[in-house]
Amino acid sequence: MAAAALRAVRAPALRSSCAGWRVPGLTPVRWSRYSPEFRDPLVDKEHYRKPVAELTEEEKYEQELKKTQLIKAAPATTTCSVFADPVISKFTNMMMKGGNKILARSLITQTLEAVKRKQFEKYRAASAEEQATIERNPYVIFHQALKNCEPVIGLVPILKGGHFYQVPVPLADRRRRFLAMKWMITECRENKHRRTLMPEKLSHELLQAFHNQGPVIKRKQDMHKMAEANRALAHYRWW
Amino acid sequence: MAAPCVSCSAALSRRLFLGTRVVLARSQGLWKASAAGAQAGSGPQLSRLIHTTVVTTKKSVPASRREVYTEDFIKKQIEEFNLGKRHLANMMGEDPETFTQEDVDRAITYLFPSGLFEKRARPIMKHPEQIFPKQRAVQWGEDGRPFHFLFYTGKQSYYSLMHDIYGKILQVENQQNQLLPKSLLPENTEVLDLIGSRWLIKEELEEMLVEKLSDQDYTQLIRLLEKLGRLASGPAEQEFVSRFRRSLAVQSKRQEVPPVQHDAQGMPFSTGQGRRKTATAEAVVSGHGSGRIRVNGVDYLRYFPVMQDREQLMFPLHFLDRLGKHDVTCTVSGGGRSAQAGAIRLAVARALCSFVSEDEVEWMRQAGLLTTDPRVRERKKPGQEGARRKFTWKKR
Repeated sequence: MAAAALRAVRAPALRSSCAGWRVPGLTPVRWSRYSPEFRDPLVDKEHYRKPVAELTEEEKYEQELKKTQLIKAAPATTTCSVFADPVISKFTNMMMKGGNKILARSLITQTLEAVKRKQFEKYRAASAEEQATIERNPYVIFHQALKNCEPVIGLVPILKGGHFYQVPVPLADRRRRFLAMKWMITECRENKHRRTLMPEKLSHELLQAFHNQGPVIKRKQDMHKMAEANRALAHYRWW
Repeated sequence: MAAPCVSCSAALSRRLFLGTRVVLARSQGLWKASAAGAQAGSGPQLSRLIHTTVVTTKKSVPASRREVYTEDFIKKQIEEFNLGKRHLANMMGEDPETFTQEDVDRAITYLFPSGLFEKRARPIMKHPEQIFPKQRAVQWGEDGRPFHFLFYTGKQSYYSLMHDIYGKILQVENQQNQLLPKSLLPENTEVLDLIGSRWLIKEELEEMLVEKLSDQDYTQLIRLLEKLGRLASGPAEQEFVSRFRRSLAVQSKRQEVPPVQHDAQGMPFSTGQGRRKTATAEAVVSGHGSGRIRVNGVDYLRYFPVMQDREQLMFPLHFLDRLGKHDVTCTVSGGGRSAQAGAIRLAVARALCSFVSEDEVEWMRQAGLLTTDPRVRERKKPGQEGARRKFTWKKR
């Protein structure tokens, strides 16, 4: 089992100016159908259309290097379309239940539509000065709302002397994004009236988070307060 | 009283006998055991001895060391191989003088067809150098004194190699220090092809030196070689360093571009095939068109009601900015809706390669449009509910 999980890496072509040396050896690859030497695909159209004159030395080197590397197939959810958003894709996947991507995606589309409608209503009803401040692009609102919900510091249970202490710990970027999305989804699933539909509730929560109000922001602030309260235990962290 | 004594003495003699003969082949051991048993025991014990195996009688089976092949043995194997190659050539009606290894492989697959999935389990006939692992000759003379001065380090080839490389580095640095005040430095000629080649991996190095290396040893060696390669050294040193590099295939050259065909009216078109999970698709992309897509005779909007699948169909065309310029007619079968969409995407991308420049083919490859997705459904395992999900753990 361990032998299957670990596979030897073919040492890639190394740069002469490579500062951080990776020890060539076993890299854990948990049962991927791809060999470890496969690289992730890059779908951005503009990246390839750049004229050769504009590239720096680094980029030219990267380009040449990429020609010798094997590339994985692009997943079924990515396109080079301008409407494809990685944050929205991740959020859709987290909303999905039982593999029902069609339903999850339709909910997100309806949510974004609901956000846009609400903002347009506010816009129509507002005066000229306020109209400048109202944001109507649902994607901008979505991104900003999730960014507002991201906690800066988290708590980790550490076992010391037979007791678990909640120790404040800095969080990695991806963990913060994950927590923001998770809290948003949990909040919208659990604390809503039985008759309200998900898009309505989610659009309402997103708009509240956009203005730094609402239950998700409160949860983030509670987390920060707990971390502040347990400041004394910070030295339990060893990494 | 007598019978138990006889049986226990038989068992003892058997065990003693087997204990001394470790390296012998199993069949020999069995016969010897049965012979010993025949001497010690009577009728029923003899039959019992013949049917026992070496493994069940031994208390603990020591790990077998690697077989040591003598030089004479290897030489004999090589002679037999060459003779066998000539016989094989005769059998196949070819000329024995010009019978290459590829011909040998073809002949063996023809004479011994095997349906085994594991390629290494199929019948092979290769030169003994490739079959028997390389072994070190005896490292010391008749007086017991080792030949190499670094023998007692345990890894003499590795340390002597490090010694050589460091010597070369010092030499080159000395030369450069002498030339520096006279400012007669030669141009920095980096012959080392950093992109088209890679360092040897640890396994290849172990094979080359016929010694076991640790990860740290390997790292140190590569560091030294990099240092030597970076210094402005002469062609001899570059050649020395390039011995430790292997060339990498340029992946973009490996793409098979289907040829452009012309139909009765002279319209150019191209065909491509694609697969994803269990779905197979074949797409015919015409050179001039208005962006209509027909799948299995049905318009794509009706065949793929889900937006995600239509986006996948659009992906290769949109990537190359050729959305309204090609007509696509495709047939697809097998799989589910997402697999069919993925298969058509691959087929269309492959067909488009023939209308597009080499650079754009490479861009498509780097965007992941020209790779067959190897992910398939993982099988369910016995003792588990699914491929990964285990049954609910119950305490009692």
